[in-house]
Amino acid sequence: MSLNKFSELFVDLDSSKSTNNKIEVLKKYFLSNRPIDNSWTIYLLTGKSNKRFVSGRYLRDLFSEVYDYPQWLIDTCYLKVGDSAEVITLLLKNKNASQTKKIHKISLNELLSKILPELSKLNEEEKKLRIKKAWETLPAENHLTFNKILTGTFRVGVSVGLITKSIAKLINIDEEVISHRLMGDFKPSINAYEFLVNRNINLEELNSKPFPFLLANTFEDKIFKDSINDFQFEWKYDGIRIQVIKRSGNLSLWTRGQELVNKSFPELVEKMSNINDDFVLDGELLVWNFKDQVAMDFSFMQKRINRKSPTKSIQKKYPIIFIAYDLLELNGIDKREIKLENRRIELEKYFSKWQNKTENNISDIFKICDLIYPKDWADALSYKKKSRENNTEGLIIKKKSSIYTSGRKKGIWWKYKVDPMQLDAVLIYAKGGSGRRAGLYTDYSFALWKDKELIKFASAYSGLTNIEIKELDKWIRNNTIDKFGPVRSLKPEMVFEISFEKIQISKRHKSGIAVRFPRITKWRKDKKINDADSLDNAYKLMREIS
Amino acid sequence: MRTKEENLIKYKDGNLYCELADIWIDPSKPVKRALITHAHFDHFTFGCEEYLSTKETAILIKKRVGDNVNIKPFDYGEEFKVNGINISFHPSGHILGSSQIRFIFAGEKWLITGDYKLQKDETCKKYEIVKTDYLISECTFGLPIFKWDKTKNIAIDISNWITNSPDKTSLLFCYSLGKAQRLLNEISKTNFEGNIYTHGSIHKMNDCYRQLGICIKDTIKIENKKKIDQLKGNLILLPPSLSKGSYLKNFKNIQTAFASGWMSIRALRNRSGYDKGFAISDHADWDGILEVVKKSEAKNVFFHHGDSEALSKYLSEKESINVLFFEK
Repeated sequence: MSLNKFSELFVDLDSSKSTNNKIEVLKKYFLSNRPIDNSWTIYLLTGKSNKRFVSGRYLRDLFSEVYDYPQWLIDTCYLKVGDSAEVITLLLKNKNASQTKKIHKISLNELLSKILPELSKLNEEEKKLRIKKAWETLPAENHLTFNKILTGTFRVGVSVGLITKSIAKLINIDEEVISHRLMGDFKPSINAYEFLVNRNINLEELNSKPFPFLLANTFEDKIFKDSINDFQFEWKYDGIRIQVIKRSGNLSLWTRGQELVNKSFPELVEKMSNINDDFVLDGELLVWNFKDQVAMDFSFMQKRINRKSPTKSIQKKYPIIFIAYDLLELNGIDKREIKLENRRIELEKYFSKWQNKTENNISDIFKICDLIYPKDWADALSYKKKSRENNTEGLIIKKKSSIYTSGRKKGIWWKYKVDPMQLDAVLIYAKGGSGRRAGLYTDYSFALWKDKELIKFASAYSGLTNIEIKELDKWIRNNTIDKFGPVRSLKPEMVFEISFEKIQISKRHKSGIAVRFPRITKWRKDKKINDADSLDNAYKLMREIS
Repeated sequence: MRTKEENLIKYKDGNLYCELADIWIDPSKPVKRALITHAHFDHFTFGCEEYLSTKETAILIKKRVGDNVNIKPFDYGEEFKVNGINISFHPSGHILGSSQIRFIFAGEKWLITGDYKLQKDETCKKYEIVKTDYLISECTFGLPIFKWDKTKNIAIDISNWITNSPDKTSLLFCYSLGKAQRLLNEISKTNFEGNIYTHGSIHKMNDCYRQLGICIKDTIKIENKKKIDQLKGNLILLPPSLSKGSYLKNFKNIQTAFASGWMSIRALRNRSGYDKGFAISDHADWDGILEVVKKSEAKNVFFHHGDSEALSKYLSEKESINVLFFEK
């Protein structure tokens, strides 16, 4: 198979908005290509751990150097297109129009298993020559796929879910099985593909893999109609969702993003390995304040995630805890088909056994989540409001009679999040977006009043509808005071309601505060800039919650 | 009298204007006298006392808005005088009747390109190279990322797009004047054998083209909604204004596409809401603009209709062309 087929697939997937069409396209593709190329295709499309061989910046600079093209011109084009790989592809159309070199076809496998890995081993000059040669000898239809693979930016609106569905249809097998087979690492090989499309289900095949996670839906009012006794209530912690898996004595920590994070949390691996039973537990990993028995802010967790092998002092400074809320497997027996209320009973039973019988004390790093028992829905609401006090995001509501399925199935788990904090702020800067927002001003900065000055306090880019984005883009172009590179400073005139989850002191920002997950929730056309909030109001919010 | 420093053509209230002749070019509001480069509605506005255009443009405008407009038609190349200034229309290759406008005064030549393209298009006259001292060029696609494929290849892509989905009705959206006729002309040269239906607005323009001696493939006017089941595997051309709203509910099992130069950028394609985009344009691409600047032999160049920053900088730095900016 040549790379052409894959490039065609890319075009086909890109030329349809219908999920069913995409599934058909993928099915046909898988049927007509070699397992090894299919394997690489799945690797690329699911985007699990696509390696970036060179950066977008590098690619742009290289083009400039090779073709003696002004860098500022490439950068201007980039602002319009929003993707380095695509900009270079479009510019190559101009350069290779009179292509004279012999066209050289390669396969997807050749590209990914040979050409690109070799690239990393070459010195700078040779590396540049190789890329240049590829540009000159690959058929033009392959330039975009080549550049995108090179820069590790392969996104085609194909989710893991879509791949799962296509393969399930291809071999006529339950989606859940494929979904499970796709969990964890995917190392492209003939075997990996054949394992995926094997019609026979071998129970042990999935030993090293986590279960597909069950995800919570946003709360809906209609459950008020049901009895409160049908539900289990838990705090919604703001940490990392993980499955702790111990099978045949080996312990692994899998995140919801399907990353194995054993190395980042060695103390948890060590302690939980001491438990005598095998198990799969679903829960939340947090940095914990042991003195007050509350979760620490997510920013502390960030200090742990990105560190492979943390030192003892880091472990001490940011102590972690795993709070389990579900038992999915015990000593090789899958518990997911059992009702939640019964899974909970087993979880509690085994937890107390482990606490008493495990050699080293495990309770300083592992506990099970406390349940909350609101009397009625009004009471549940008051619990939700309390959640800021214990640094949680709200409540998780789970149907007691539910089984553990995969994905965001309706009617099983709900997240009942505490109302966001809000401030009305003035739009002062805008920056061009990238990717699908290229060519539009979609990254905004907002300010609050301090005396008579507007001080930037947050940046946000989500929350507006496409129509609003276009309207605002037009306004931005007509109300620019100044330009610095891609950033425009704007006439202070537009007021927006900004919602966010957390507010804390920050020395890095001029405003002295930092907010988490800021987003636009309303375009306040009814407000003038003098109606916008002041920084003092932001400080007040901070005091209210601390 | 005009002082030497003052330009013959300038920018006034967002429009090109020649003060000496008291004449506007494609004005966006009613004025006494207007030169019209072509019959697209973003270049024509109601309420001017007098319009001047090519014969074809005059006919197309009347067909679109009725006879109640005072248009003086001219042949391509025919010179006429307004306040001592020689003015003439020259083919710009954008659509049928489209023109560049040349002004000559006191031995000084000015050329306004209007919208133009250099690519092949059998439904209108080819762009004519006109030598000038001052050039005012459009630059809608003034970035090097814009490089048009051969029209023939796009037509083949369109034909394949339809025939590869035989169970679907293919809706191709395009401007009803110019683009639609060009597409019909090109598609008729491919292997596509299905029926082509057109919306009333396109049908009307097709007739007009035929009257003016342009050969346009026969199409079926789409009006009867009952026919819908027979439409699969066939092509329907529709104006972009119908792509949003309830009109599409008349069809079942469709695939949609938009034919426009902007469709060469993936982000714009995805954002457009159409399934597919065909990058075919009636404007010049980057190379086209550079070629016109060069061949016009203009010493001084202005740009309008587009983001001209990059183009201006490139021409000044790389080609040592004197790029000027209008005072606004």
